[in-house]
Amino acid sequence: MILSRREFISGLATVAAAFTCDKFFPLKGALGKELPPDLVLVQGPSPQRITRTAIDELGGMKRFISRGDVVVVKPNIGWDRTPEYAANTNPQVVSTLVQMCYEVGAKKVKVFDRTVANPQRCYLQSGIAEAVKAVGGEVSFVHEKKFRDVKLPGNALKSWPLYVEALEADKVINVPIAKNHGLTRLSLGMKNWMGIMGGWRGMIHQRINESLVDISLIMKPTLIVLDCIRILTDNGPQGGNLSDVKIMNTVVAGVDQVAVDAYGATLFGLKGSDIGYVKLGHELGVGVMDLTKLKIKYLKA
Amino acid sequence: MWKKARISSQVIFFFVFLWLFVNTKSKGADELGYPVKAFIDADPLLFLLTSLASRSIEVIPYLAIVVFIVTALFGRVFCGWVCPLGTLNNLVGGLKRKSALAPTHNWFWVKYALLVFLFLSALFSLNLSGLVDPLSFLIRSFSVFLYPTFTNLTVLLSIKCASFGELYFLQGSFIGVLFLLVLGLNLVERRFWCRYLCPLGAFLGVLSRFSVLKKTVSERCNNCGLCERMCQGNPNKAECFLCGDCDDGCPQKAIHLGFKGKELPWGIDIGKRRLFGAIFGGIIAVPLFRISPTRKVAFASEKLIRPPGALEEKEFLRRCVRCGECMKVCITNGLQPTLLEAGWEGIWTPFLVPRIGYCEFRCTLCGQVCPTGAIKRLTGKEKESLKIGLAVIEKNRCLPHAYSIPCIVCEEVCPTPKKAITLETVTVKTKDGKEMEIKKPQVDPELCVGCGICEAKCPVVGSPAIYVTSAGETREREKKFLLDR
Repeated sequence: MILSRREFISGLATVAAAFTCDKFFPLKGALGKELPPDLVLVQGPSPQRITRTAIDELGGMKRFISRGDVVVVKPNIGWDRTPEYAANTNPQVVSTLVQMCYEVGAKKVKVFDRTVANPQRCYLQSGIAEAVKAVGGEVSFVHEKKFRDVKLPGNALKSWPLYVEALEADKVINVPIAKNHGLTRLSLGMKNWMGIMGGWRGMIHQRINESLVDISLIMKPTLIVLDCIRILTDNGPQGGNLSDVKIMNTVVAGVDQVAVDAYGATLFGLKGSDIGYVKLGHELGVGVMDLTKLKIKYLKA
Repeated sequence: MWKKARISSQVIFFFVFLWLFVNTKSKGADELGYPVKAFIDADPLLFLLTSLASRSIEVIPYLAIVVFIVTALFGRVFCGWVCPLGTLNNLVGGLKRKSALAPTHNWFWVKYALLVFLFLSALFSLNLSGLVDPLSFLIRSFSVFLYPTFTNLTVLLSIKCASFGELYFLQGSFIGVLFLLVLGLNLVERRFWCRYLCPLGAFLGVLSRFSVLKKTVSERCNNCGLCERMCQGNPNKAECFLCGDCDDGCPQKAIHLGFKGKELPWGIDIGKRRLFGAIFGGIIAVPLFRISPTRKVAFASEKLIRPPGALEEKEFLRRCVRCGECMKVCITNGLQPTLLEAGWEGIWTPFLVPRIGYCEFRCTLCGQVCPTGAIKRLTGKEKESLKIGLAVIEKNRCLPHAYSIPCIVCEEVCPTPKKAITLETVTVKTKDGKEMEIKKPQVDPELCVGCGICEAKCPVVGSPAIYVTSAGETREREKKFLLDR
């Protein structure tokens, strides 16, 4: 993120004002109010409402998105499944985020995913295409020519073709769904980056944790909203069996990829350190997985 | 007068055909929602021969009955005014130099011989109608040759409208060459195919025996012979396409085509020897086409994976008219035309090649577009438990099995609600003596439906480490090899 001159000056003025007023009003944070929590957890029956509440608690969408931004909201649309099977991100969570971006003046909000099953079916059956279009988001299928080789830290991958639209966006919001996975145990936020990977991406399973951390080290999302409205507890990541789906009516939001995933793991009765890429992400400084060190806010909405 | 009306009709029907063809395409919904097979439904020859070969009537062919009645009343209107292949032949024929228009051959009998041949073989249960029927021929050529050529060109030129990338078809070039050959024959003689080869044309010609078509030639005729040179067919009931060129083009305005005047001759003369030859050929073709041992279930190619809902092989071959609609609609590009995988009898029938494209678990489109019921229309529920084959792990190539390298792609993509591919965790010793846990994939033959997504996505390059065979497919009772539990 590059600060514009206006943002820089207004930020400077706020800080200066905060310091000058310090004598009269004790300083709570640099912006004169309490610092937002690291993680917000909201539970409630309406996906729209809990998503909104979560973002508002983190300081509102204006904290993340500036007027005129081109935003990518990246859900998981990998599978040809309807929402009740918990294989793709909840469509209402995605559309609420898209709508909130527009509310604070985003220029364009793009939604896409490189699906595993047939893209037309995934986009339609997941309900995401329809929900996002209804609030004015731009839904597009991934185009094979729009990948660009990107240099990566090299824990496993020295370079990999990534999707240009995700690389060139001003802001990226990651909206994964929490679900079971055969190799990594759970598919969470960092695993969701596979949807911007081009090429023969099945290969990365040979060193999955290192590969996912490599991508997470260069993809810095502005915001992560982990959809736990329904979580898939077995036969993931594709599911297909309603008895494997557990209804949690929850979203977890934060700005630390590792922290969000570490919290997600607890919903399955696991710890962050049980998930290879979360543990490695913590070790390599992508984020913090120790939940005791984080300020977590729980809400019902 | 005639010409304007005829060309408008041809243009309208051609665009309807194109529109239906282009819309034989998934937009992601479970139902296609378009009557894309309408042209095949309107083909009385395909209906008759398929019903004859399969000894059954799938649906009442309303459109074909309309064509039947119109032809019986007015002659080959379909050929001149409707048939999209006829329209293409017209177009290409227009490229031929005008001075060389006069017909030079008398090969009209060929198509009647072909018709008799097809009829006799269908009578003895061999259905070859789709190979030469003009509508099957056209849709097949469009599906596996013209359309992929078009989409691949848009990719080549980076035009975004075809964002689903390139399409690939086995036999695409072969079928394409035949298509270009048929169009090219118009340069030898205009409407060569329609005049001499088309079995549907022959059938409609037979039907027009009692049509009310009449022609008057007034005294103004000065025997200039222009009408004969302009004629697209031949001036008799069985060969006239009702194009009206003679009526329109006569410089003396002496010819009037209509319901009054002198009745035209029927004009079918195939000759006894040729008739007997065709009858004999049609009968002998049945054992000849079936001499290949692929008909024996035990010898059938394990790579012959039929589309979901396909009837039992023998019944399937009697019904399939090789129109290629299923290959056009297949969302993964996995359905491909065979060459000899199903023997001579099964040439250009659809089979699934998972390495090109797998069978999408919840998709039932091929059954929805099949015009003859060779592929049954399935409900989503029926599809989920239907086996089209069984996956086999090639343990000498599989990364965890052969090299102790982690890989779970086949398990991850396996779409059955309870996964048919499971992972067994085993401890192995690495070369430096350390112990390491590795997950090895296993296939559950009870749960596997043979969709082939594992084969399609297997990261082992070249021959995949997991592949589907037709063993245990639901449709073929004799291929069952597991006891029920």
